Amino acid sequence: MTYKWVLLVVALLAQLVAATAQASQEENRLMAVFLGRFASYIELPDRASKLFVITVIDENPFGSLLDDLYAGKVIGGKPVVIRYATKVEEVGQSDLLFITLVNPRARQDAIDYGAKHSILTVSTATGFAERGGIIQLDFLQQHTRIKINHAAALKSNIRIGAPLLSLASVIRGDAQ
Amino acid sequence: MRTVAIALTSLFLGASVSAQEKSLQQANDYYQKSLNELFNIETPAKAEVGSRTGAREALESEVPIDVITAAQLESSGFTELSKALMKLVPGFNSPRPTGHDGTDHSPPFTLRGLNPDQVLVLVNGKRLHQSSLLNVNISVGRGTSGVDINTIPLRSIERIEVLRDGAAAQYGSDAIAGIINIILKGYGQDSRASVSYGRTSQGDGVVRQADVFYSVPLKNDGFVNLTVEGRDRGRTNRAGPDSRFGNAIDHLIGETDAQDGQLAFNAEVAAEALTIYAHGLLDRRASSAGALYRLPTDARNNPVLYPNGFLPMMEPKISDYSLSAGVRGVSEGNVRWDLSLTRGRNDYHFYVSNTHNDSLGNGSPTSFDSGATAYTQNIVNLDLAKKIGELNLAGGAEVRHENYQISRGELASYVLGTASTIAGAQGFPGFMPENEVDASRSNKALYVDARYDVSRALSVEGAARFENYSDFGSTLDKKLALAYRPHEDVLMRASTSTGFRAPSLSQAYYTSTVSTLSSADATFRQAGTFAVNHPVSVALGAQALRPEKSKHQTVGVVYQPTSGFSVSADFFSADIADRIMLTGNIVDTVSPQVKAILKQYGVQSARYFTNAIATETQGLDIRLNFRHSFEDHSKLKVVASYHRDRTMITDVYPLASILGSQTVTAVLNDTTQSFIETAQPADGYKLWTQYEAGAWRSTLNLNRVGSYYYFNGSRFGAKLTTDLDVALRLSKTVEVALGGNNVFNVLPDKFTYSSNLFVSGSGIIQYPPISPFGYNGAFYYVRLKLVL
Repeated sequence: MTYKWVLLVVALLAQLVAATAQASQEENRLMAVFLGRFASYIELPDRASKLFVITVIDENPFGSLLDDLYAGKVIGGKPVVIRYATKVEEVGQSDLLFITLVNPRARQDAIDYGAKHSILTVSTATGFAERGGIIQLDFLQQHTRIKINHAAALKSNIRIGAPLLSLASVIRGDAQ
Repeated sequence: MRTVAIALTSLFLGASVSAQEKSLQQANDYYQKSLNELFNIETPAKAEVGSRTGAREALESEVPIDVITAAQLESSGFTELSKALMKLVPGFNSPRPTGHDGTDHSPPFTLRGLNPDQVLVLVNGKRLHQSSLLNVNISVGRGTSGVDINTIPLRSIERIEVLRDGAAAQYGSDAIAGIINIILKGYGQDSRASVSYGRTSQGDGVVRQADVFYSVPLKNDGFVNLTVEGRDRGRTNRAGPDSRFGNAIDHLIGETDAQDGQLAFNAEVAAEALTIYAHGLLDRRASSAGALYRLPTDARNNPVLYPNGFLPMMEPKISDYSLSAGVRGVSEGNVRWDLSLTRGRNDYHFYVSNTHNDSLGNGSPTSFDSGATAYTQNIVNLDLAKKIGELNLAGGAEVRHENYQISRGELASYVLGTASTIAGAQGFPGFMPENEVDASRSNKALYVDARYDVSRALSVEGAARFENYSDFGSTLDKKLALAYRPHEDVLMRASTSTGFRAPSLSQAYYTSTVSTLSSADATFRQAGTFAVNHPVSVALGAQALRPEKSKHQTVGVVYQPTSGFSVSADFFSADIADRIMLTGNIVDTVSPQVKAILKQYGVQSARYFTNAIATETQGLDIRLNFRHSFEDHSKLKVVASYHRDRTMITDVYPLASILGSQTVTAVLNDTTQSFIETAQPADGYKLWTQYEAGAWRSTLNLNRVGSYYYFNGSRFGAKLTTDLDVALRLSKTVEVALGGNNVFNVLPDKFTYSSNLFVSGSGIIQYPPISPFGYNGAFYYVRLKLVL
């Protein structure tokens, strides 16, 4: 009988440690989807790379969802790969940079890096678009809204398709 | 044996794989949707309350949290927050008292059958001050000072988070029944204006309301939001005939006539690395209600001034404001910090009119300034938080200073003149100079809150809070909460915590007396409520008030197979010791010792607050949420809930032995016991349904409140009320709505006994003033909304 309970506890602990899917985190799921969908409406400068690289910098809120979702998917004719970085120096050549950095200075450094290397920068941080980020995702009143800094995109030689712009709040003035 | 192990392991691993696949499948489904469809997906409500480690989905929380949206508040049809929450939050009770002096004008509310002062109210996470009004009459919440949430304009609110668990270990005093966190509209809100008009089916209780919410966007997603609201609510009167006076309707039994002017602002200015923020609320209310009618032959009447008798009118003016300002940022080490100042004040000024001071004879004034109570709190708070791997660590420090004042009324409002022995303004005698109070205290708190995600399936949260109060000493409270997800669709949660409620300053220091002529020795004496530290209270055995101490347990489960459907069940228990109550009137017939004490201090009768009882509350909450978008883009939302609670007195602390046979009955009798145990509905369910198609949006809200008992044992049966709101969007900027609350005109049971002239099914007060949905009957309204 005791042995049975030990087995039960062991099985339970094994379950606890196992990385189950991020449960019912709808916002994360939507964010993961939006990254690829945004990318399909943009035109980046020609790159030598044959891969479409999505990099998450700092905390990864998606678990394994990004890897699973984009396995086998193609954006702009290129297979998608997901990379993870903890600081700007690790970003390298990417096509889309999802920024979760909470430190404003570090976040600004990531924005500047993206602008310099023609990377589509995306974040949920408040004030992100006005500070030079290209797409800001907001969850307001339980719905997704986006703010696009079109000027910043153009400055980085990134063209954004009209269908995406038509659904966004667009900043057309001088980019930071 | 081996087979069992393999089976179990397979089951768990199978569930894990299935969970991953399900989540991925959902994401892949979304990936196939058009951008428009993606933007139309409604995400689950998030809540900040309950953990200092950041907002998260309410259904993911270790403790049960309800989120009420601005759209739900609007579609409730109510213009006062307490009434809207009564219809939307299970276990929330807000009766409409009548004939209860100050309580009529600032009605208290309760959560989970506990007291008004056992609910902590926050605005944007900052503590909102309590009212200075102490409810001393026979009403729900007797002996408490609660928060007047009707001072908050509805249109300034983005959402309301209701935490249904004890949380004093995180937030300090008062968070025993739970926390109501009111989040004001912030970034990204449309400016709007609305007007509404409504009245009861009997043509009274006319409500005229107008509001403007105006949002000014600032750089870097900063904003300044301003809400201005005016509300004029006419009185209702459901008084029955007065058989003493030709069956005349000479009383006012119903809701007060009240005018509120309200202002709210919420602002954030985003600087380079800092965010400066502030929010504030202001309410000015003038209100009017009747006391009991004085017949022409009543000894308290002066036939020269009032040949037909008179109805004293209580007409307080209430001012309430709060202001919070702070700055927050993130350090180089990724420590999130937030430093804030909060100030709040409630002034409750008592005026009476259409009355007189009988002892001043024919020359008595007919209106009086009866004095005021005021409560002020100032808070300095520092919050810190940092994420270290899977550990979310938060902590902080807080200093709070409170002040409570009672100011005397004008001389004529309390003086005992020579024309008779009946002193003071009829209806509400003024506070006397001896009643004046200016009492303060301060407390300091240190707290820590940590949540550790052991795995994606298991999180553990622990919290501890140390507080030191200048009046009663120190407390240390702890909380442990666990959330475990055995399957992606299922969340199991449990929490255990200790808590406390500091005695309010009003309970410790409230003093209100009148002069009266002793029939025993023809000397003038004081009668009324005395502060706990007043010599007569001390001589009668009063002791310094101790904090109420509580222990809480909550166990629950959430089942959420899809993002659009969830059902949850949570069991809770709360044991509260040292609950503070007001004694009954202690008079000189109690015992020879009491007689001697009262004579020594020149007192006819006295009452005071004391730690009186221990209680146990147990209950159950069941929730169901469903939302669905149809192919034709119409949407259906359903929120169903059931709540049940039961409070039992488990211990009674006898008063001093000099009270003889009344050591228990002086504080606990049938009346006061019923207000602890049975005067609030033991259960209730709600079914809120909204269907939106094209330009139309219809909301149907069914509410059933369970039975309850009034002080003399009368039972009032369960009732079902129906609210309906139909809104039509005429253009992108204009919407009209028609609706009704309690459209089938359901009334509470009438009193069944007839021996009492005032309170009976055919008497003056025919319906229970503690009815959770009032006794006005149906109310119909029209609303016009403009997007600016």
